[in-house]
Amino acid sequence: MSNAIETRDLDYRAGKHFELRDLGLNVREGSIYGFLGPNGSGKTTTIRLLLGMLRPIRGSISILGRSVPREIPQIMAETGYVPERPHLYPYLTVAHAVRFHAAFYPGFDAAYADELRRSFAIPLEQKLASLSKGEMGKLHMLLVLAQRPRLLVLDEPTDGLDPVVRRDVLSALLDFCSQGTATVFISSHLVHELERICDWVGVLDNGKLVVELPMHGFKNGIKRVRVAHAPSLVGDTPFVLLQREMSGLEQVWVVRGWQAPMVQWFEGVGAEVREVVDLDLEEGFVELLRSSRTPAS
Amino acid sequence: MGAVFRQIEPRSPIPLYVQIADRIRIAVATRELAPGAALPSVRQLASQLRVNPATVVQAYRELEEAGVAESRQGAGTFVRELAEPKREAERQREARRLVRQLMQEASLLGVTRDDLLGALRVEMKVKLA
Repeated sequence: MSNAIETRDLDYRAGKHFELRDLGLNVREGSIYGFLGPNGSGKTTTIRLLLGMLRPIRGSISILGRSVPREIPQIMAETGYVPERPHLYPYLTVAHAVRFHAAFYPGFDAAYADELRRSFAIPLEQKLASLSKGEMGKLHMLLVLAQRPRLLVLDEPTDGLDPVVRRDVLSALLDFCSQGTATVFISSHLVHELERICDWVGVLDNGKLVVELPMHGFKNGIKRVRVAHAPSLVGDTPFVLLQREMSGLEQVWVVRGWQAPMVQWFEGVGAEVREVVDLDLEEGFVELLRSSRTPAS
Repeated sequence: MGAVFRQIEPRSPIPLYVQIADRIRIAVATRELAPGAALPSVRQLASQLRVNPATVVQAYRELEEAGVAESRQGAGTFVRELAEPKREAERQREARRLVRQLMQEASLLGVTRDDLLGALRVEMKVKLA
């Protein structure tokens, strides 16, 4: 299967304090890819690199099989982009904003735009300056969906929106996704929101891609294991040990790549597994970040 | 149809597609969904539950493989006619699943099997009386 977004060895630096290093993203065509990371981890910078708004120091970027930045016009013609902050002219009415946006995209589906506008209940003749934050969020989603793009790049599309609006916006997005084979690249720090919609997850922390996995691998592979008689030194393990800490007489290990038969490994080192607990996406995410910052010994 | 899916729990370790398929199984076993009834389209259900369309497709595929549903080209997915013994089997399957879930939660809380059995007897008598 080919990739809708692919980067290799991407480096970027902004001032002394921020850099992206060796970024290698693989976003499969047709997937809904959740790009997770805490605030300031480099999500928006990555997106700006992907869409040719920033230039990397090193590395290559390919989107929809085309090369960035050389073929950005062709790429953008097939890409719907919702930036972190609204970039629409506040003095336009909703009707004008829709027509303005449509002018850039020959395939813009005006009927679909109108259908979405009605279901979002956005008044046609209102000036953007007087729209609520929620209405602006919905308008942005409407504009990019009506492009009927092959790729959607959404930078925190629901940040700061209330739960009802978030629900409407995500429902519209999923409705669009089930009509075809579009790829969605969606960045967020709202982990639980992506849990149900994404089939791939990439986690960025401090300019580095910590992990990139299918969602089921992410959710099923990370476990918290309660261990009795744990060895003080851990040699080779069949799983990746992310964290371990004392908890009374036992230790709590957080491991990645867990499979049930690995219980035997513990027996082999004289330890005993008391319990294996599943982590949800948010807990897994937090544990991954902790371990990427302070690796377990 | 909406009520069938009230219990989808995205944070549960049980995969979402399994949860969706199970809910439909129960609805079929209890006749909440009659034989021949149309299941919601993938598009409808994905948007309603806010889940990845592929998740719904996977759930429907599993139901087809289990013989609970069938897809008709271009028309959608429909509940198949289940013979009475099969519905009985589905109900028992569901009962075992509920018990397994209960036992799992109980072990996390340190509740023993005897505690559970005792509680079950008490509660069932209360309900029957």
